[in-house]
Amino acid sequence: MTDVMPDWLKAEENYTPQSDKDAFIDKSIMSLIKIIGGARTANTRERGVNTELKTACTFILLVLISASGSTAFILAAGAYLLCVLSLMRAQEILSILRGSFTASLFALILLLPALNVSFTTAVKVFLSVTAAGILARSAKWHSVTAALHRFFIPDMFIFILDTALRHIFILSEYASGLFYALRLRSVGRNKGKYSSLSGVAGTVFLKSGEMADEMRSAMECRGFTGEYRVYGKPRFGAADAIYAAANLTLILSFIYLERV
Amino acid sequence: MIELNKVTYSYDGECALKSIDLFIKKGEAVALIGPIGCGKTTLLKLLNGIILPERGAYKFNGEEISRKKLQDVKFSKLFHQKIGFVFQSPDTQLFCPSVREEIAFGPRQMGLPEPEVEKRVGDCLALLGIESLAGKAPYHLSGGEKKKTAIASVIALNPDVLILDEPMSGLDPKTQVWLSEFLRGFINAGKTLISATHNLALVPRISRRAVLIDGRHAVAADMPSDKLAEEPGLLLGANLISEADLPFLGKEFR
Repeated sequence: MTDVMPDWLKAEENYTPQSDKDAFIDKSIMSLIKIIGGARTANTRERGVNTELKTACTFILLVLISASGSTAFILAAGAYLLCVLSLMRAQEILSILRGSFTASLFALILLLPALNVSFTTAVKVFLSVTAAGILARSAKWHSVTAALHRFFIPDMFIFILDTALRHIFILSEYASGLFYALRLRSVGRNKGKYSSLSGVAGTVFLKSGEMADEMRSAMECRGFTGEYRVYGKPRFGAADAIYAAANLTLILSFIYLERV
Repeated sequence: MIELNKVTYSYDGECALKSIDLFIKKGEAVALIGPIGCGKTTLLKLLNGIILPERGAYKFNGEEISRKKLQDVKFSKLFHQKIGFVFQSPDTQLFCPSVREEIAFGPRQMGLPEPEVEKRVGDCLALLGIESLAGKAPYHLSGGEKKKTAIASVIALNPDVLILDEPMSGLDPKTQVWLSEFLRGFINAGKTLISATHNLALVPRISRRAVLIDGRHAVAADMPSDKLAEEPGLLLGANLISEADLPFLGKEFR
């Protein structure tokens, strides 16, 4: 086999690299690592209140916040969400508030010409994103999709949601592998940066289609008939009772304050 | 050439490498063996500068590989040219529209003249026996063809060190024999070869030295590859084989 090795491969490479701006590879890798890290954490946390109760209460709260015309109720909902936030870890609070502030700022800028509604809408957006953030940060994704089943959401919707969430993690890992390969082989000046990037995106796209097909076949082979079942009894403890009571108080305060 | 001093690494507090000491000279052929999850792939990633040691030091050609060093674009590019890495899954390594483009990607980046790029591509296609695939899209190839394309794309950079993670995974027996012959040729050409595997039969075929990493994520033994079969106790202790494998151990290595 040595005989067939070309001469350039037997010799040591005398190469001096030129400088190139390819920070986009490292930035892409870092973004994907964040997604993978986030997905890993999302699948390990499950604290405090029963996820089904949490999902239902969050959904009701979102409807009440958007329907409310009472400043007092908005303040009460804000106080309640701040109390729940204060029970979370500092890193999680920061992450949730970062999203909430960004979304509300965006809403404020969009509605700035309508001065009379822009501030109230921005506050409502802030509270809604905070409520959704608390749910996302304190429950496993799988538990949330399972909770949706109990609320008679169509199986097909839950299946697609569950599969999409799972594939975000798998495809992010796959894409990060491709970016690492691109970085390792980016040993000089890359004249076609965008074409490398589109190559990575195209490969991930093809892979996602192949994985979806394979998963559907595997599920059919294992007897999946399109019905999404949830096993296990829902638990209800002291924390759930307190949480339910707090939310019931909010609902009653909505009914009362909207009448005043 | 490669020097690891008391290197430690962990994922979210879970130990993956524990106080690894390793010295690899130029032209050596080393196999990293150990059970699944012992840290072989992590060690290979570290050798490629994808991850950096939490504690300890990694030196390549006498220079310590650190975050600051890798932020120096020229150094980083030269380092990656010197060390070629073939991933376990070729799927995560191929991103160009055709096999020819995939192999030409590295040489073109190196600024080689186009005739030289064409020569390297042609040589690599011939060397790996994939001339007929030159115009095909890598994504639609079979596992073995993808692996050959991935190896060709790295070989085209003419690295001093070739690192392979589970080189035989997903290959049929004929291609495995072919690949081990190819890697032997690569070693005989004076290159350094580091491969991670848990396939004991492969070890003497593609390496002269075996480094055993055990379940404690530390180096349990460092010995000539052909002596590995004489140390069943070590392999048992590292959880790489079971008692039932003992009668077949000698045959496994032949």
